[in-house]
Amino acid sequence: MRMKKLLMVISAASIVPAAFAQAGPGGSSGSDTVDVGAVTVTAIGTTKNVRKIGYSVSQVQGKGLVSSGESGVIQALTGKASNVQITRSAGDPGAGAYIQIRGQNTITGSNQPLIVVDGIPVSNSSFGGGPDGVVQQSRLNDLNPSDIESVEVLKGAAAAAVWGTRAANGVIVVTTKKGKRGMSIEFSSTYAIDQVNREYEKQGKFGQGAGGRFAANNANSWGDRIALRNGTDSINPNGARFVADDGTVYGTIVRKGDKTVYNDKNRDQVFRNGITWNNNLSISAGNDKSNMFFSLSDWNQQGIMKGLSDYRRTTARLNFTQNVSDKLTVGLNANMAKTVSNRVQMGSNLDGLYLGYLRTSPDFDNSDYKGTYYSAAGIPKFNAHRGYRRYLGDVAPTYNNPGWTLNEQTNTSDVTRFILTPEASYKWHENHKLIARLGHDMSTDRRITYFPVNSAGSQANGSFTDDHIQETETSMHFINQGSHKLGSAINLNSTVGYLYTYRSLYNIGGSASQFIIRDQDRFAFINSTTENKDPFNSYSELISNRAYGILDFDIKDKIFLQLTGASEASSTYADRFFSPSGSLAYELTKDLKPNNVLSYAKLRVSAGRVGVAPPAYIWNTNYVAASSSSGWGDYLDGSLYGGSIYRSSTQGNPDIKPEIKTETELGADIKLFKNKVSLGFTYYQNKIEGAVLAIAVANSTGYANQWKNAADLSNKGIEIDMNVNLVKTDNFNLNLYGNLGRNRNTVDNLSGAAPIFLAGFTGTSSRAVEGQAMGALWGGKWAKDESGKLVLDADGFPTASSEEGVIGDPNPDWRGSVGLNGNYKNLNFNLLVETCQGNQMWAGTYGVLNNFGVTPETATEFTVSAADAANIVDYRGVTLATAAAAGANGLASVNADGSITARGSLKDFGAGNVWLNQYWYTSLGGGFGSVAEQFIKDASWTRIRELSLSYQLPKAWSDAVHVPGGISVGFTGRNLALWTKFDGLDPETNLTGVSNGRGLDYFNNPGTKSYLFNIKFNL
Amino acid sequence: MKKISYILALSLAVGFSSCKKDIKEINKINPGQFSDSDPVLMMPGAQLANVLVNEGEAARLAGIFSGHHVGWDRQFVSYGDYVMNAGDFNTPWGNLYTEGIAQCRIIRAKAAKANNKQLNSVACITEANLLLTASALWGDIPDSEACTDGITSPKFDKMSDVHKHAIALLDSALSYSANHANFSGAYAGNHNWAQVANTLKARAYLRMGDYTNAAAAATSGVAAGKDLLADHSQATPGAWNLYYDFLDWNRAGYISASGSHMQKLLDSSTFFRNNAKTDESSRFAYYFLEDYYTPLDPNIDNGIFAATNNFPIVSYVENQLILAECAIRGGDINTALTHLNNVRKDNATSTGGQYDDYVAGDFGPGQIVPGANANDAMLKEILVEKYTSLYGQIEPWCDLRRTKNLIGVVPNKGTQLPQRFLVPQDEINANKNAPAAGTLFDALELFPQ
Repeated sequence: MRMKKLLMVISAASIVPAAFAQAGPGGSSGSDTVDVGAVTVTAIGTTKNVRKIGYSVSQVQGKGLVSSGESGVIQALTGKASNVQITRSAGDPGAGAYIQIRGQNTITGSNQPLIVVDGIPVSNSSFGGGPDGVVQQSRLNDLNPSDIESVEVLKGAAAAAVWGTRAANGVIVVTTKKGKRGMSIEFSSTYAIDQVNREYEKQGKFGQGAGGRFAANNANSWGDRIALRNGTDSINPNGARFVADDGTVYGTIVRKGDKTVYNDKNRDQVFRNGITWNNNLSISAGNDKSNMFFSLSDWNQQGIMKGLSDYRRTTARLNFTQNVSDKLTVGLNANMAKTVSNRVQMGSNLDGLYLGYLRTSPDFDNSDYKGTYYSAAGIPKFNAHRGYRRYLGDVAPTYNNPGWTLNEQTNTSDVTRFILTPEASYKWHENHKLIARLGHDMSTDRRITYFPVNSAGSQANGSFTDDHIQETETSMHFINQGSHKLGSAINLNSTVGYLYTYRSLYNIGGSASQFIIRDQDRFAFINSTTENKDPFNSYSELISNRAYGILDFDIKDKIFLQLTGASEASSTYADRFFSPSGSLAYELTKDLKPNNVLSYAKLRVSAGRVGVAPPAYIWNTNYVAASSSSGWGDYLDGSLYGGSIYRSSTQGNPDIKPEIKTETELGADIKLFKNKVSLGFTYYQNKIEGAVLAIAVANSTGYANQWKNAADLSNKGIEIDMNVNLVKTDNFNLNLYGNLGRNRNTVDNLSGAAPIFLAGFTGTSSRAVEGQAMGALWGGKWAKDESGKLVLDADGFPTASSEEGVIGDPNPDWRGSVGLNGNYKNLNFNLLVETCQGNQMWAGTYGVLNNFGVTPETATEFTVSAADAANIVDYRGVTLATAAAAGANGLASVNADGSITARGSLKDFGAGNVWLNQYWYTSLGGGFGSVAEQFIKDASWTRIRELSLSYQLPKAWSDAVHVPGGISVGFTGRNLALWTKFDGLDPETNLTGVSNGRGLDYFNNPGTKSYLFNIKFNL
Repeated sequence: MKKISYILALSLAVGFSSCKKDIKEINKINPGQFSDSDPVLMMPGAQLANVLVNEGEAARLAGIFSGHHVGWDRQFVSYGDYVMNAGDFNTPWGNLYTEGIAQCRIIRAKAAKANNKQLNSVACITEANLLLTASALWGDIPDSEACTDGITSPKFDKMSDVHKHAIALLDSALSYSANHANFSGAYAGNHNWAQVANTLKARAYLRMGDYTNAAAAATSGVAAGKDLLADHSQATPGAWNLYYDFLDWNRAGYISASGSHMQKLLDSSTFFRNNAKTDESSRFAYYFLEDYYTPLDPNIDNGIFAATNNFPIVSYVENQLILAECAIRGGDINTALTHLNNVRKDNATSTGGQYDDYVAGDFGPGQIVPGANANDAMLKEILVEKYTSLYGQIEPWCDLRRTKNLIGVVPNKGTQLPQRFLVPQDEINANKNAPAAGTLFDALELFPQ
């Protein structure tokens, strides 16, 4: 009684309580979510009536994943469940995505949820991914979304407790399709067009050069006024020249005269419409004794970047179940995937696409990038690479020409993956069933990275890496399910289980550089001398075993109590880890008189304790190969000096323990007005203690880091899910649905240690900082006095603070989505609008483009009187008048009336106007200056995530072409509109891929919008 | 219910007992790493850290501060304007301590245990070299409590105490057995460790203003042809000359010589240094490249910083100029002259050009090397020669600060030369005893302004 009262109070205090197994937009399409018989899949892959669960779970139906038009299951979950944040790494085809459920739960460990497919944990690793290189895939991309029946997102500790130290980030339970009675064949074909959804604007007024004058090969676009040129380049007839492969000749420029602005042409060299063909065949069949589901699929995508950017995934699946007898059932789920893709170099990378493309001066034509260089004496150099920083291609340009990046470099990934899940269940007693399930998930990924000779930077003499990654996860899972009656009012279901898991990751490869034969592309180590070959390997394995028990009490069909305990041992920590949890659901409406307003109400409360296992091999301080590097790329390698092995700068810790996460959750699921309105409300708070990290220690101790259970974090938040049936008639059905999630994360304690670098650069990084949310953006700031005013230098310009600090927060204040779905006769439709508010991002690209004088912001002009010009100075301290007298027309020039027109802008930082020009932007005011604070931007966004329509053709038509099951056609638009204040790029991206560091943009490859056309035949 | 309990108990029992021992074994030793190493094998790594600091980022920044270099592109534009923050100094500090000093202290302990005196002497010299460089850059640094198990916030020792400790380490090295060139993995190998130790001692005493002891040590210092040279003879990344690696391979154009004080000293258009007995044009060509990445680049192609050119860590030229300076400060113009002329001879051999011997009468009012008096003129000439011949090294920046910029280097920006590196942000964050970052213009204890 007391308990009941308490729950009532809680419920009353809560704002809006909630629906249960929240049918997301995909799941609820066209039907009422209020289905008391609805089931949800639990963490171990068994089913349970949603009425009886005491924790929050979001369910997304398979067709919702398919209609999103995404190639990957994770990406397709976007916007479909509250507090489930999906961030794709970039718009490359097949790019991985980062999943974050209820905020971050660890600092340097993985924040990715456990993925369980058909009751067996599978890998969703994303191996690699840093501030440069290519975008890596997530291994969950290997699943075909069309094979999926449903996905449940278990967010809380209680729901996931049986998974112990793998459950802290939530569990995503994927259930694949089973054969249904009878037989049906479905064939669907989708054609999709992808386009870049947001681009940077470039200025077209000022040419390549510096100081207001043209200078060939110069990095910057701080040159002359293009409009004031005479029209034609004057060429030295006896000079060196570049002859492009198509015969176009580029001579040595004596004086720049060409007035053409090539921004559009250079843009069209880089982007195209990406085309995808996705074909999918599935056969479902079943009878009393057996059922099977078979599918084949082929996803063949060309990326939006015009060159070697593609992704092709071919999958096959067979799910088979046979009832051998009344008691014995055996089955096998088998999945095979082959994924082959070409990626494009990106990020902080001289050989990356956007870096070379966006920095290109507006007056430089990138179209001919490969050819032959002839010196003035006529001596040829073949396979020369022409870019704006080496327009004759005499040596490799400082940055790649984007054409070279897209067409000459090779970055393939070739993945083969098998997931096999044999299962047998035996009903050994009328109330008991024993299930034995094995899982074997194996993938190999062969990655080739190849830079031909004359690629930019340190790849100028060619380099090649052949990298093999082999991952396995093998599980044995035994479950006994029993049901019992305890008196007349109480039913008890018991589950005991044992799970053994073995995981291994093996990486072997080698790289070779300084090619011997310089003009034939071969992926062969023989093309390098011995000292330029570098083999590498690494190996790690993990074993864990876990025993668990679950007791489900059903009291009078209105109070549902679940108690769970799991005990786990693992190879990465010393003592067993125990995860208890409990949840209680009370169906209030069983005790109320039925009324027209409240149709159903359930209150739920749950609590649990889960963990995060520490990583392998951190017990000892290792002795490692000596190597010293300055952070700028120059380094000394001990292996070239006779070999040197010395103590690692990371100190091991034999006493490491799992991180402990405890969470409590309160919620309610409510249906109103004869089930027309369903609402789900959840409040949770959790605390993570002893987060494991290689904590930064004072380097003067001789170590840079030490492994410790050093940090505490906490999250709290709310989740609201709703569905309103607006219209329901025989022909017309319309639902309004939506969700809203808010999470507050705080790094409560880092044991007094330094902020932890998670990802990024020396100047700007994403860090864990005590008292801040995880991933806080960190970097240089403006110097300010006690009153908060900028400290100005003698000329009136702001100055940099000598210490760095927190400059931004990449975590959103809240996220939400709202949608409409339904059908009118044979027409189904779905509209999903999603928003993310209050997150910040470091606009690294924009800041650096300011440095180069490429952004329109840097190309504005202003005019001042001669009197003012004598007083206003630039960052060098040079006045406008002096600058104009120098006669560089791109810097400043004197008009007929004596006034002065200059490039740049005037700004008053507090001591009168100063002139912002090249000397400001290439120093403190640009992206290479030390004040990162000025490029922290609001990266909130709102977008039309999905608009889909499908139409079932009249039966007469499909019968006429002998398609008895019907034909439907559909259209989906993805990312059709985006509203954001963030310049130049869809802020739903992350430079460092699926890492814990967030909110960084630095020449990331751009995002996409898509139009998909689909036709489906049911035979 | 009984049955359930039975199954539950059984499963838990299985779980508890199941191969817990085996489970732990598999992660005990990382199959890709080692658990210990021989001190002989550790030595080259610590030496490489020493080279990296004395030739890499710290040397580049010191060179920008001393007017050897000009920050030309990207972050180095700000650096050239003397706008830096504490985070910019994290990496060299980490190299010094974790890859250098910490390893030296382990090697010393292991060498002492094995009674390997030769190795011990090399570890002492390497550690002293690291400490002297660190203290030259930052002034007060952790030393007595640094790299000590159980101390998480080592205190900062005074710059003078660090120098005294370095001298003590060098004396220990000399008292072991330093008269050899063994255990020189990172170096080209023509040196003699005892001579290196003596020149380092002289360097330390000179910074402390103790000219008597500096001269005494330098008398046994590095002889001609016996420089301690970082070995860059292999033409491969990871072994290259670091200036080349940085300026040609990784960060083309970030640092220039265009407009540097160094250029002004040697440039034929200004001919600051040329006189009847001196022609610097060969040295100019050896030091600089015109219009490579910038109007004037440090010579990374066929000169001083070419890919396979070794880099001096402790040199004969430095030793001679220490002797010369100590002599002239003691008023002994003839001894000073001998050592200065030794260096001029060395210049003529190493870079070509005209470097005729000076005589005492060449110095003073109205002479080839002008000045208020002969001694002043010669002192300035010695310091300018040191500034010029130690191109790219850290020591000239120490000389500028030690002598209150006696040779009159014009700062890149403003009127002051930077005096120090900022205390690194990483250290401030984690060391309770770390002082504030400070500013670049705070004078150091041994270099009052």
